[in-house]
Amino acid sequence: MIKVKINYDGNVIKSFKVSGHANHDEYGKDIVCASVSSIVITSINLALKLDKESVVATDKPGLIETSILKQDDVINKVFVNMVDMLKELEKDYSKNIKIL
Amino acid sequence: MIKLQIQLFAHVKAQGSTHNGRDSAGRRLGAKAADGELIPAGSIIYRQRGTKIYPGNNVGMGKDHTLYALITGYVKFERKGRDKKQVSVYIEK
Repeated sequence: MIKVKINYDGNVIKSFKVSGHANHDEYGKDIVCASVSSIVITSINLALKLDKESVVATDKPGLIETSILKQDDVINKVFVNMVDMLKELEKDYSKNIKIL
Repeated sequence: MIKLQIQLFAHVKAQGSTHNGRDSAGRRLGAKAADGELIPAGSIIYRQRGTKIYPGNNVGMGKDHTLYALITGYVKFERKGRDKKQVSVYIEK
């Protein structure tokens, strides 16, 4: 199961950690894993495009850890949108992803 | 920027698995009595698949081609024709 741990500062996202394995299907066919990876990585890369010093992120198989350095309305909306999409995914695949 | 790896949270690629790896236990075929050995009637001399060795004098063959002694006596492995073998049991060595 993929676990998404989000740390808020008030109602602003300060950092988040995505870890684990979706275990929905075998490697190469796991659509839940593909969705989570795409949503999270797209959001991080979008924030870096907007301001390359706004975010620091580390990634390795089964883990992404991100800290948001600059609290800016647009950057925050990027990650609020990310969390909303992950929550949508969780509704359909509650056995494979959990938002903590 | 982070590289888009869409299987980042997928289970690690399973090692190739084979569907082989099964085998039946050995059937312990072969000779059960040695040449020149004194054996009682009815005892098994040779377990085999098909007739690798043929029954000779005083030797019977079961339906699974097992060779056994018909009399008490000494085991003798012999040639049968040009390229075959047989086993017999004789009262004297």
